[in-house]
Amino acid sequence: MDRRQFLRDVFLWSAGISLAIPRFNILPEALAAEKPQALLGLATGEDYAALVARVLTPLGGMASFVRPGDMVVVKPNIGWDRNPDQAANTHPLVVRALVVQALEAGAAKVKVFDRTCNEQRRCYASSGIESAIRELDDDRAVIEHIDPRKFIPVNISRGKSLSEWEIYKDVLECDCYINVPVAKHHGLSGLTLGLKNSMGVIGGNRGSLHHNLGQNLADLATVIRPKLTVVDATRILLRSGPQGGNVKDVKRLDTLIASPDPVAADAYATTLFALQPDAIDSTVAAYNLGLGEMDLAAIRVVSA
Amino acid sequence: MALKRTPIPASLWRRIGQVVSFALFLFLFIKTDYSGSDELTWAVNLLFRIDPFLALSAMLAGKMLVALMLPAVITVVLTLVFGRFFCGWICPLGSLIDLSRHILRPVRNNLDPGKRQAKYLLLIFLLAASFFGLPLAGYVDPFSMLVRGLTFSLQPALDHAATSFFTLTYRHGPEWLNLLTEPVYALLKEYVLPFASKVYALSVFSLVLLLAVLGLVRLESRFFCRKICPLGALLALFSRFSLLRLHGGSTACGKCRHCHTVCRMAAIDDQRAIATAECILCLDCLAQCPQGRIYYGWRKGGAAEQPTDLSRRAVLASLSAGVLAPLVLPTRPLARHADPLLIRPPGALAEDEFLGRCVRCGECMKVCIGNALHSTWLEAGIEGIFSPKLVSRIGYCEYNCTLCGQVCPTGAISKLTREEKHAAVIGRAYFDKNRCLPYSDGIPCIVCEEHCPTPDKAIKFRQAEVLNSRGEKVSLLQPYVIAELCIGCGICENRCPLPGAAAVLVTAEGESRHAGRMQGAGY
Repeated sequence: MDRRQFLRDVFLWSAGISLAIPRFNILPEALAAEKPQALLGLATGEDYAALVARVLTPLGGMASFVRPGDMVVVKPNIGWDRNPDQAANTHPLVVRALVVQALEAGAAKVKVFDRTCNEQRRCYASSGIESAIRELDDDRAVIEHIDPRKFIPVNISRGKSLSEWEIYKDVLECDCYINVPVAKHHGLSGLTLGLKNSMGVIGGNRGSLHHNLGQNLADLATVIRPKLTVVDATRILLRSGPQGGNVKDVKRLDTLIASPDPVAADAYATTLFALQPDAIDSTVAAYNLGLGEMDLAAIRVVSA
Repeated sequence: MALKRTPIPASLWRRIGQVVSFALFLFLFIKTDYSGSDELTWAVNLLFRIDPFLALSAMLAGKMLVALMLPAVITVVLTLVFGRFFCGWICPLGSLIDLSRHILRPVRNNLDPGKRQAKYLLLIFLLAASFFGLPLAGYVDPFSMLVRGLTFSLQPALDHAATSFFTLTYRHGPEWLNLLTEPVYALLKEYVLPFASKVYALSVFSLVLLLAVLGLVRLESRFFCRKICPLGALLALFSRFSLLRLHGGSTACGKCRHCHTVCRMAAIDDQRAIATAECILCLDCLAQCPQGRIYYGWRKGGAAEQPTDLSRRAVLASLSAGVLAPLVLPTRPLARHADPLLIRPPGALAEDEFLGRCVRCGECMKVCIGNALHSTWLEAGIEGIFSPKLVSRIGYCEYNCTLCGQVCPTGAISKLTREEKHAAVIGRAYFDKNRCLPYSDGIPCIVCEEHCPTPDKAIKFRQAEVLNSRGEKVSLLQPYVIAELCIGCGICENRCPLPGAAAVLVTAEGESRHAGRMQGAGY
């Protein structure tokens, strides 16, 4: 091989590689999956591990979402360098109980992660979620930091505002995606709930989504489809969200909401703040896209 | 049956010492990072705190005893007993210089024992200048140069290279290849590479300086140590009086001058007399003396010490240069107005004191969890290069993090508790309403408000009705800053989603380290 040939080969090979950056297309059949059941579990109690089990009972327990051998993602909000009392992140006990439930349902692996806003290691440590998962001491339960190599461009064919965004590979490939937002105040969107929590599995310049936040979140929800949404309202942040910092802004409710319908979960959670579902733009936009139910009268709430 | 013991040659012991010291240095260097808890257990500041040159410079500049730097006394005492072993056995830059000697073979083998006064003159100049207000010690300190080169350039470069490679294998490699490469990458990430990819101002410059020092061995072995290093000069001044030292050959050696030839420091003259001040105890001569005449032992009275070749005139000249040079500093506009974009880390002392104590070790920038601290260039004057400043657009100051104050070896950045840190104002944000979307284009945003970390947010918003760029009336939220609540952490500027310059910017205005101080006569 002479030098000319070598250079030509290198060029062809590298061109081949750069053309082969994977792009994810979600098949229209999968997207058109029937509307999830507008059934919602509601439970109150001080033992959060037991509370998680209880709130899932009306939905048929974890077994109706996780099948043996499944790869499961539990996605809490670990966005901020705040401790559990400050109510900026999902409660570590709630996250841990969900992981345990998934393992008991036979999950082969349960991954926990979030693309944080503050420094990742600090968020994982301060939130208490990292140690809560580590304490399980189970090889199948892993909490890991976001690996930037895993963001994959995804076509958002049903989007009204977005046509493409980078989404975390593990979320796209898992068998069961469980979204576990903490219910809290948010300056721009009013509240941050399940749909907003999905921002933790996307790449790119997330701030720019704020320019049309409600519709953008709904567009993302067409491709990020949790099988189960569990809204953590064990304590809620009433002011200075989404990161708070002052425990005076926190109200303890000891409540969990669970639903296979992401829109219904958000819609009902809104009422905990004495607001109506239509006060949250993303809920309305997602409802209009047919992603779920926001009419409280049409949601079957089962207290457990 | 007795085993025949081959004694380990003395110079091999020295080499083992160098390897162990360098490994320890690398360990401390890697450990200078967030470890999962708010308090750091190990940091490379240990190395700087035993550096008597930096200690002296910081204390002269601050005109006070800097307790953090007192461990430097240990080095001085050990040098008074054992001689200048520090340069030959401990100094990590010295070890690297020795290593580069094997790669870049010196062109000249016959070393010129003279011209080594330069390091003493430099030392005198630097210490005098420090005392009179021109702190430059960190520019040439061997540890500072080394840690800067590693922090700003080598470690991040290694990280970028490794990440590019393992991204390629991850994205395009077959499954079996990833089974091999991914564990390697995980190990590297765990033990060698920085947690997240980092960039640093002056990275190339720092590397060039470090490579230049190493490259000087091409001229003569240990060129930097013999002729430039002010720390070496200071230790040399002490080691002249050391209790233990090498004793050389004599006229009885006949024509043999092997020791004179092998000495990497040119410390042995052609009469085989060993200059204790220059001897770094590498022990090559001892190991290689054909007659075994050279030995390490107690100082003997009456042995003539080689002269330092320092003329009184030269000493006075560098002393006066050090005294006089700072006089020109107040003539700069900087004396009236500090650069408003020069945002110092939280806990930094008032500017003069800060620069006096800062030894430019780069540790604060290494440990900075948000990659927010960067080398200053000339923004703080000729004496401010390599001192840390916050560049918010690259990284912001993490609200609950106090690591920079923990690693600062001299206390130029004070160690703050979390509460003190929350109260430390390093600057203030303001809005560029010509660029900020809710003002300029009628587009909703307020990402800044979301990220503002103070529990009572320094960035608040109000509802406003404005015309957007299409002339439609829209109702949206417009952000504004409450100055008294803002601490200048820069997360707003960092996270502003606009491309290019941010629409919310931080300046050093209102920094608490200068609270109550009248800011010059300029305003």
